[in-house]
Amino acid sequence: MTINIGGLTLKNPFTTASGTFGSGRELAALWAERGIPLNVLGAVTTKGVSLEPWPGNDGVRVAETASGLLNSIGLQNPGVEAFCAKDLAWLATQDVPVIANVSGHAEADYAAVIRRLDREPAVSAYELNISCPNVDSGGMAFGVDPVAAARVTAACRAATARPLIVKLTPNVTDITVIARAAVDAGADALSLINTVAGLALDPQTGQPVFDRGVAGLSGPAIKPIALYAVARVHAAVAVPLIGMGGITTGQDVRDFLAAGATAVAVGTATFTDPFTLPRLIAEWTHPSA
Amino acid sequence: MTAPLCHPERSEGSLRAKSLAATTLQNRALTTDLFQLTLDAPAIAATLAPGQFVHLRLPNPAHVLRRPFSVSAANPEAGTLDIVYQVVGAGTAELSGVTRGASLDVLGPLGRGWRPPVGTRHALLVGGGVGAAPLLPLAQSLPAADVVLGAQTAARLVGHADFAGRVGADHVYITTDDGSAGQPGFATDVTRDLLAAHPYDYVATCGPEPMQRLVAALARAADVPCQVSLERRMACGVGVCLSCVVTTTTGRARACAEGPVFDAAEVAW
Ligand SMILES: Cc1cc2nc3c(=O)[nH]c(=O)nc-3n(C[C@H](O)[C@H](O)[C@H](O)COP(=O)(O)OP(=O)(O)OC[C@H]3O[C@@H](n4cnc5c(N)ncnc54)[C@H](O)[C@@H]3O)c2cc1C
Ligand SMILES: Cc1cc2nc3c(=O)[nH]c(=O)nc-3n(C[C@H](O)[C@H](O)[C@H](O)COP(=O)(O)O)c2cc1C
Repeated sequence: MTINIGGLTLKNPFTTASGTFGSGRELAALWAERGIPLNVLGAVTTKGVSLEPWPGNDGVRVAETASGLLNSIGLQNPGVEAFCAKDLAWLATQDVPVIANVSGHAEADYAAVIRRLDREPAVSAYELNISCPNVDSGGMAFGVDPVAAARVTAACRAATARPLIVKLTPNVTDITVIARAAVDAGADALSLINTVAGLALDPQTGQPVFDRGVAGLSGPAIKPIALYAVARVHAAVAVPLIGMGGITTGQDVRDFLAAGATAVAVGTATFTDPFTLPRLIAEWTHPSA
Repeated sequence: MTAPLCHPERSEGSLRAKSLAATTLQNRALTTDLFQLTLDAPAIAATLAPGQFVHLRLPNPAHVLRRPFSVSAANPEAGTLDIVYQVVGAGTAELSGVTRGASLDVLGPLGRGWRPPVGTRHALLVGGGVGAAPLLPLAQSLPAADVVLGAQTAARLVGHADFAGRVGADHVYITTDDGSAGQPGFATDVTRDLLAAHPYDYVATCGPEPMQRLVAALARAADVPCQVSLERRMACGVGVCLSCVVTTTTGRARACAEGPVFDAAEVAW
């Protein structure tokens, strides 16, 4: 039984949540110790890549919360050329579909990254990150406004024939409005959710822990928010959904699939246990075991 | 804006890491808030190099992040790892309650450890508080060293007896802020004097970052190569999430992969 995500065929419904798996090299080395190949995954979703190198944010970048994690990485990445030369060149040898997660400050940046990656046979699909709370220009700004979401989706649609996935933020009044705008502008599938905007204060000073104040919450703490978003968007649009947000157990996977997701992504749970994805895949493949 | 740097080819540590269930052989209080944990983890003890760390998963699943700890002793024959830790928050408090026989999920060895220049003969090691822990296996691996240990107070001194056993008691210099042990004052004062008196060929330091920075500046002034071991908040511990970055002269490097041990000269303090 294969899974179809807007034209992308996967052997199982499991992928990595962007930014929590790098491009797979480090986790693949760890998995290899137990004889698990990277291509047990349905697909690898890469860390966000932008046209030029981005240095990411200054100051503290992560803080633990009750059953959750706040991050403010700021989409640090070496830029699309270095990504192609190093990450993609390696991924091309791994026999696994690659979903490239794309970031930009402006519409034209997203489309330019996609035009560059479209020359790379190792890329199977794109996931547009219009939902990151951790950068000032671009990022979530596109994901909270249906007009901006539609424009960036349309610009990327025009740049590629490959499956186009748009990743949504929960930090909106009505996520179905943005979902419809993205689908109407040509998205083949949607990913949801990106992190939930949150704040942490230093108990000593009362000042924000993170330099930008806001950070993005992930992990089991956001699962109910994510599940609700998936159920609502499933009722509103007809495209396949990749569900994510706190997925840690086999029951979490079943919940997201029951709420209307076609596939799932695991992020924070990989930090807790780097073998979470292989464990969930084994459980899904052999439910009785 | 400096270009971000990722050097997967330099992160040999993480590429040899293993994840395993280790049995707790011992978890004893050294003082009121310092503990020593001994784990049965042969596969990690076999390859861990001085200065590398392990990432421990806490028993309570409400903690989504592991906790990073340097290894103060790895014994490949016995298959054991020692960690000395200070209780500073919820995670280390929980760790202090782990009992003998309990299983702990350990990931390691991680990161890059100390890299003394080839042919190092006489090193100076400067540890602040619990930061002395990763210097213990380094002291073991060097032909000769002087060791400066600083702490706020006598009860926060780590490893002085072990260091004395390795380099000789008269090569261990102790300072405490409150004068409750050794010389009153800061480790950096003694470091300055020692650097003026002896021709060291390597300085290694770990502890509070302001102390490490000052030690690095003193070593630089004395023209001695220096390495520092930097702590950053980490999530994955294996180089994928870019949480623990250190700003270096050539861009951002990951403390868990390119570090935690860095050449002092490459750190942009
Ligand atoms: C490479 C490395 C080696 C270390 N070696 C040792 C050691 O040998 N002995 C020892 O006592 N401590 C060591 N530390 C520090 C140790 O990891 C923290 O004290 C511990 O994580 C605190 O957890 P907590 O839940 O008790 O504190 P909390 O403050 O409640 O922790 C909250 C979060 O912040 C993180 N955090 C808090 N303080 C630090 C810190 N100083 N460095 C990194 N993350 C931190 C925690 O991991 C956790 O994610 C090391 C840190 C690093 C990065
Ligand atoms: C450290 C970290 C980095 C992330 N980086 C990205 C990114 O580059 N692009 C992106 O679209 N989402 C990014 N995310 C969001 C995740 O892909 C995911 O949507 C979110 O964390 C919810 O899933 P989880 O609870 O399983 O982690 C990041 C999340 C974390 C925790």
